[in-house]
Amino acid sequence: MVGATASRNDWMVWLTFAIGMLLSVSPLPQFMEILRPLWLALLLAFWALALPQKVGMVTAWCLGLAEDVLYGTLLGQNALILTLITFLVLSLQQRLRMFPMWQQSLVILVIFGLAQLVQLWLSALTGNRQPTLALVLPALVSALLWPWISFGLRGLRRRYKIN
Amino acid sequence: MRLLVLVVLSVALMVVDARFTLLKPVRSQMSLVLMQSYWITDLPQRLWQGVASQFGSRTELVAENEKLKTENLLLQGRMQKLAALTEQNVRLRELLNSSALVNEKVEVAELIGMDPNPFTHRIIINKGERDGVVLGQPVLDARGLMGQVVELMPYTSRVLLLTDTTHSIPVQVNRNGLRAIASGTGNPERLELRHVADTADIKEGDLLVSSGLGQRFPAGYPVATVREVIHDSGQPFAIVRAVPTAALNRSRYLLLVFSDTRTPEERVNDAAQAQENLDAQGGGPIIPATVPKPVGVIAPAAAAAPAVPAAAPVTAAPAKPAAATPAKPAAAHPAAAKPPATTPAAKPPATQPAVVKPAAKPPVSAPATQGGRE
Repeated sequence: MVGATASRNDWMVWLTFAIGMLLSVSPLPQFMEILRPLWLALLLAFWALALPQKVGMVTAWCLGLAEDVLYGTLLGQNALILTLITFLVLSLQQRLRMFPMWQQSLVILVIFGLAQLVQLWLSALTGNRQPTLALVLPALVSALLWPWISFGLRGLRRRYKIN
Repeated sequence: MRLLVLVVLSVALMVVDARFTLLKPVRSQMSLVLMQSYWITDLPQRLWQGVASQFGSRTELVAENEKLKTENLLLQGRMQKLAALTEQNVRLRELLNSSALVNEKVEVAELIGMDPNPFTHRIIINKGERDGVVLGQPVLDARGLMGQVVELMPYTSRVLLLTDTTHSIPVQVNRNGLRAIASGTGNPERLELRHVADTADIKEGDLLVSSGLGQRFPAGYPVATVREVIHDSGQPFAIVRAVPTAALNRSRYLLLVFSDTRTPEERVNDAAQAQENLDAQGGGPIIPATVPKPVGVIAPAAAAAPAVPAAAPVTAAPAKPAAATPAKPAAAHPAAAKPPATTPAAKPPATQPAVVKPAAKPPVSAPATQGGRE
């Protein structure tokens, strides 16, 4: 019974990822481009915490490849970063679940900040050097968005009984 | 363990993707599906435009129509002159035995997305490999050069803009032909000319056009106008900043340039053939407009072209006797004859068309024989 409902509502997870992908390429005003949150990473972090048996590093890697094609970066660059983020979230999973929301946000900030630094390093290797500090801004915005994303998706999960 | 495998896999993929073209088909297949998301995110704007045009008020439409009509009239007026000038330019080039002016074909493309990375200036357009787009193809908008195609996908392609930090384009100052390289700065409103000597003749307001030296961009398209020139005695070179003429972050409709792949010889032959056809038809409507210049200007140029001894006297004779004297030194230095031949030709004094008609024919047929010989 439980298995049946789960397989019925799996598509919701994928739908959120699809929406996340749309959001990550949606046009923004020039000054907000720098602040674009890491939508896919946020969604991955939530689902990895909520459904670690379903959404894991392989999912992250596949989504990362898709993002690479979308962004026109080297195949594997975003895949590597999303895999790293998911790995860190999964390894902190037990603790993260216990934390109050603001503390979760802080941890997310640190994890995403690290990921952005790896991103900077990788893009420097491929020849596109970027202003260093501005690159951490998306991590900050994502951390600020985390509580809302988290509440929203939790509601969605309850409603559709995704487990 | 799984992390290790995935990390190694990603690194391997990145290296392979950077070094070889092995993964190109995979990428293009994936993009077939994924690039739809740019299209979807662009949808609201498209819808808004559709709605706006549906509900635009009558007076607005009438006003716009009026405006477009006047604009069209102006452009067509300019076109008439341009046709004459093009004709004349081709002829002059043929006389100088240089490669003929390339007649580029353009196709309209539409912008469907911006690159989400704020530190790169790339856009996505709705024409791809299946539409005949090739890698490195130049992209224009109505006002000037925008950039070049850097990534091909089946139905879309990615265009690197001039202002990206990794992009540079060879340009020359339209006023005096001074060559330079304009590099992107990461600011959509600024290009910088690198390594311009402090004493170089370049000043505010100069138009920079593409010089075609990089073999990538066609020559003669406007690129930027010089905004400021700073002479700093502490710096080895002048600091020259320019503003792109194209609306890099506003244009929605772009032009893809298809330059022809014919060799110069084929091009000359084709041009000669076209000229012969035109002559066979009795000149066509354009000839009378261009004719006046050949009298005064082309004669020395024709004499300067060393390879046409037979044609030179024919042209020089009816032209005017006074031209014979300046023609002599010009013949001695064919290279020196070039600038005076082209510059006065730029301004067309459209007078006395009736008298000159016979004079126009010889310069036309001369290149035809030349082209055939090559």
